[in-house]
Amino acid sequence: MSEIFTMGIDVGSTSSKCIILKNGKEIVSKSMIPVGAGTSGPRRVVEAVLRESKLSIEDLSYILATGYGRHMMDWVHSEMSELSCHAKAAYFLYPNVRTVIDIGGQDAKVLRISPQGMLTNFAMNDKCAAGTGRFLDVMARVIEVEVDDLGVLSAQSTNVINISSTCTVFAESEVISQLAQNTHINDIVRGIHRSVAGRVAGLAKRVGVEDDVVMTGGVAKNNGVVVALEEELYKKIHVSPLAQYAGALGAALYAFDKRES
Amino acid sequence: MSNIQTLLSAFDAIAKNPKKQLDDYISQGKKAIGCFPYYVPEELVYASGMVPFGVWGKTGGKINLAKEYFAAFYCTIAQLNLEMGLDGTLDGLSGVIAPSICDTLRPFTQNFRVACPDIPFMFLAHPQNRKKEYGVKFTEQQYNKIKIKLEEISGIKITNDNLNEAIKIYNENRKARRRFIELAGQYPHIITATSRSVVLKSAFFMLKDEHTKMLNELNGLIEASPIEPWKGKKVVTSGIVLDSPSLLKIFDDNQLAIVADDMAHESRAIRVDVQENTNHPMQALAEQFGNQDYDTLLYDPELNKRPGYLVEKVKKSQADGVVIMIMQFCDPEEIEFPSLKKGLEEAGIPYIKIGMDQQMTNFGQAQTSLQAFADVLSTL
Ligand code: SF4
Repeated sequence: MSEIFTMGIDVGSTSSKCIILKNGKEIVSKSMIPVGAGTSGPRRVVEAVLRESKLSIEDLSYILATGYGRHMMDWVHSEMSELSCHAKAAYFLYPNVRTVIDIGGQDAKVLRISPQGMLTNFAMNDKCAAGTGRFLDVMARVIEVEVDDLGVLSAQSTNVINISSTCTVFAESEVISQLAQNTHINDIVRGIHRSVAGRVAGLAKRVGVEDDVVMTGGVAKNNGVVVALEEELYKKIHVSPLAQYAGALGAALYAFDKRES
Repeated sequence: MSNIQTLLSAFDAIAKNPKKQLDDYISQGKKAIGCFPYYVPEELVYASGMVPFGVWGKTGGKINLAKEYFAAFYCTIAQLNLEMGLDGTLDGLSGVIAPSICDTLRPFTQNFRVACPDIPFMFLAHPQNRKKEYGVKFTEQQYNKIKIKLEEISGIKITNDNLNEAIKIYNENRKARRRFIELAGQYPHIITATSRSVVLKSAFFMLKDEHTKMLNELNGLIEASPIEPWKGKKVVTSGIVLDSPSLLKIFDDNQLAIVADDMAHESRAIRVDVQENTNHPMQALAEQFGNQDYDTLLYDPELNKRPGYLVEKVKKSQADGVVIMIMQFCDPEEIEFPSLKKGLEEAGIPYIKIGMDQQMTNFGQAQTSLQAFADVLSTL
């Protein structure tokens, strides 16, 4: 049997990710560009994986798009919601998964997965950015640190402080008043993570949390949020090194399933 | 089929351009009375020879002038109704009837009266205890006050005869709309979520005898068409208003047929008929309000009848799931959501909750939710 290549593209709100999969199992190449829907990101990320894999578009049996900007990809075979794709990828990476927490740039989702790996229920955040990657961006700017450093800083915290999880604007003014009271940055960062975790845990409880719990999406890179969520949910949370690529991976897996239809 | 499409286009044109419809009525020498939500006894307006004109906010509208009167956490229906009073959209109406049935509508009625003093204003207080004799009497008194005002505006007396006639016309229209809702559920390949909405919405901007005539013709044509198996999934919608074309398109794109609804703007508005040909038609109208039930806005002495009602609706319509549209900052709907959720979960009925307001035109998040919901339903 000749090799079958499929591509999954995840056009997120703040980044574009792409994966080429061989025979529905093996990742041949992957790439991420930190700009998303409506930018050059999707085109560049596709060029990058093709270059790395030394394949051309014609070598691909099926291409499937997902993510916030999926509808703009009019040249692909089909598109699916990122919820279905994250569920698919989480099951591929962790066959015992029952709950997926996906925190992306603009939204947070919690998915329930059946033992057969099917998405059976989910909850999404409302329009407010509290509990999303965007919230962390805003807070990092207020306290003048890099988003990528947040995890390390909160690990060094020695005090627990509370930051509102009600809305981004309230939380921002609380952070400013903590700064004015000379609260240590590390403790503020931990408070911010607890705020995100509180918000997302609320979503998770709406659909019910069952082991194994897997976290996907860009925010999974931030260990501070993962730890805060574990504390909030009293559950171990599994994070794959491919967490950020879960949407693209799920899309490539679905592409493999759909290639014949 | 072409007749069906012609009729649907006619409904669509009316639903999309209520202002033109209003101007047409006025140019025919008719007077029109704006009817804000909810439970306005439109029959009185009709009996007085005027056109009852539904004003339920403005989908895709922008709030600007009304900000002066409302804090941001008022629902967009109330804010946009006032906005339309302030920006001249409601000019041409000979009066408005404003119920005060929720905590948002109460301040709305006061703000509207102050902000739009040139539009004759009829305040309508519905009783919470609407079923008992004293409640019916109270409703009747309220309706009588409105009757007097309407007679002043129109110069036509509301008599038992013309009120009984109006009641008959309204019952016929409610019946036609209920039948249409059933048919839309059985023929989703003909009646999309989008066209279902325009047919139901246009009723608010038409004299009901005109609407019934068109709708009965449409219902007849649908009934005469062959039923085809539906490849997509079937849902029941619940909430206040769902009339945004871009939001409805997402239902259609994902093959989610609306087979029944629990929307204030749709089924909740036409569930209960009024007794016909009585010697006391005003009392019959008040009793109709007393007979209303299963609404977040109506006091329920048993506290929790709605979840069971919705579950029954899902079973009866053989729907696969429920889409709950939560109007941003609508206290009654938000407060009630947990009990609805519990009832659906206990019955094993999948549902999703989608937040919206009338200013929204971009529904990216709803699109993701509905697409994933369609996926979930197809795996169950
Ligand atoms: S019931 Fe809800 S949507 Fe309707 S007017 Fe009251 S607050 Fe607004």
